[in-house]
Amino acid sequence: MLEKQVHTNLENKYDLIVGLEIHVQTNTSSKMFCSCPTGYFQEEPNTHVCPVCLGLPGALPIPNKRAIELCILMGLALNCDIDNEIHFDRKHYFYPDLPKGYQISQYKRPICSDGYIETTSGTRIDIERIHQEEDVAKSTHHVEKTTGREYSLIDYNKSGVSLIEIVTKPCIRTAKDAKDFATEIRKIARYLGISDADMEKGQMRCEPNISLQEKGKWKYKDGQILPIGDYKLNPKVEIKNIGSITAVEKSIQYEVKRLTKELDEGKEIKQQTRGWNAEKNITGYQRTKETADDYRYMPEPDIPVIEVSDADVERISEELVELPVERMKRYIRELGLSEYSAEVISSSRESAEYFEKLYERLKKDLEEKEAALEASNWLMGPVFAIGNLDVGIEDLALLILAFKKGRITKNKAEELLNQSVKENKDLSKELEEVIRQKENLINNLDEIVREVIKKNTKAVEDYRGGKQATLGFLVGQVMQATKGAADPNEVRDILIRELKE
Amino acid sequence: MKIDTKHIAKLSRLSLTKKEEETFTPQMETILESASVLQEVDTSKIQPMKTRIPFKELREDIPERSLKQEEVIRNAPHSENGYIRVYGEIFGGIEES
Repeated sequence: MLEKQVHTNLENKYDLIVGLEIHVQTNTSSKMFCSCPTGYFQEEPNTHVCPVCLGLPGALPIPNKRAIELCILMGLALNCDIDNEIHFDRKHYFYPDLPKGYQISQYKRPICSDGYIETTSGTRIDIERIHQEEDVAKSTHHVEKTTGREYSLIDYNKSGVSLIEIVTKPCIRTAKDAKDFATEIRKIARYLGISDADMEKGQMRCEPNISLQEKGKWKYKDGQILPIGDYKLNPKVEIKNIGSITAVEKSIQYEVKRLTKELDEGKEIKQQTRGWNAEKNITGYQRTKETADDYRYMPEPDIPVIEVSDADVERISEELVELPVERMKRYIRELGLSEYSAEVISSSRESAEYFEKLYERLKKDLEEKEAALEASNWLMGPVFAIGNLDVGIEDLALLILAFKKGRITKNKAEELLNQSVKENKDLSKELEEVIRQKENLINNLDEIVREVIKKNTKAVEDYRGGKQATLGFLVGQVMQATKGAADPNEVRDILIRELKE
Repeated sequence: MKIDTKHIAKLSRLSLTKKEEETFTPQMETILESASVLQEVDTSKIQPMKTRIPFKELREDIPERSLKQEEVIRNAPHSENGYIRVYGEIFGGIEES
């Protein structure tokens, strides 16, 4: 009842306004401002650290070229403007996971700005900025059993790992669009080798900013939400601690309900940060947010201005490939795939490239649309079921073509594929063997039919006496004798011919 | 020049007594006033002093050896199983950014 009420109020009274901040750890071998190795996952604590990432006095940051290349690459993929100068700033706050007392980040001049992408459902999402920064340490919180004192354990291995922050404009209007956008960023990061973007490992973190505004009382102009007349905009709520793409959608849906209720009850909404609780599917109050002034940003004096030339950007852009949404659209438009198949296949670069190779090979023997359909069906069915893309393209293509030419049944083809994977056998050789055996049997089909007629005198009499139905039984007998290899229609024809004599 | 000592202390995770607040506030205001003389200088025609470096001269992404865990822990007043241990009161209620 309440759900319905809230839903109606949202539809009629309020608009949902969401902006998304996505942090992505980029795939470098060394940290952002020092040469410590990055691969800290499941490593001993405090073994990937040095004076720079521990914030020891006098240690100086030295920016990682590859990290900045990956930031620019993401900017290019999201159609951003790339600045020709890179400026770093210090963002100050005090917390044990930040040993210097400030994070090196970018304030007024991010490397990439003013971009956009389209999600799979065709919604355009505007990008405000992408900037380069460094990750903080990992801390876990505990209580001393004897004294009840609270303490934290800190592992600085993550401190200083290269991190980019992608910020959208407040242009997202539904929880699903937010989820789709996050999904697209993850796909692009993986396509371009920018990051593995595994949310469970913390390589990608999403923080939605959410507000509800009364319908007709606001407008979206130059990337900002502006009040109309004397309307006072409701403040934003930021959600942290989101550990999966689905939680992006769920947490926004939860906040919509919570905020709608608060507004309907006439409560004043405070700008705040809330944490997502994935077990209870709710958000909980964390803190009131510090404002930009509180971070006391200042230019980072230890890092010079980095000059980026057109040639640098040009060189980085050579790493771009056709991106998932473009691929998806091309598969639908040119190859006639269904929207669903096109989206699934294009969702990873590996499956898209496998599909395209298989399609190119099948196209030599089949009509284009048919080649695309078979490639898509076989990839999404039996190949995905295997769980990897190790089956050779040529082997798989020969198998598909044998089925298309009626030399083996689809069931037999799939069985062969699974068997050769399971027993690590050469698929093409297995296929040849099966076809050879089958052809032997079929060559002897006349003889087998005569044998069956000889053995089933009663049935033959019945048939000749006018019981047409008996023919089915005889066909079955022949099929059994050929272990299912023969074509039942052909068997039927031969039987009729032989029984006339 | 007015200064919100309470707010500054909070951002620095310091807890000040009422008496400390009363002592520090005028002191900090005096410091700010002295420094504010600098704001009278016209810098509109002066380029910020920043050294510049071409992109291609940045550090290559090659990992090197880090410190040993015992070296890292050595400076910490408290540690536990290779982790650095810190006590929470001064950071109370503040979440990581």
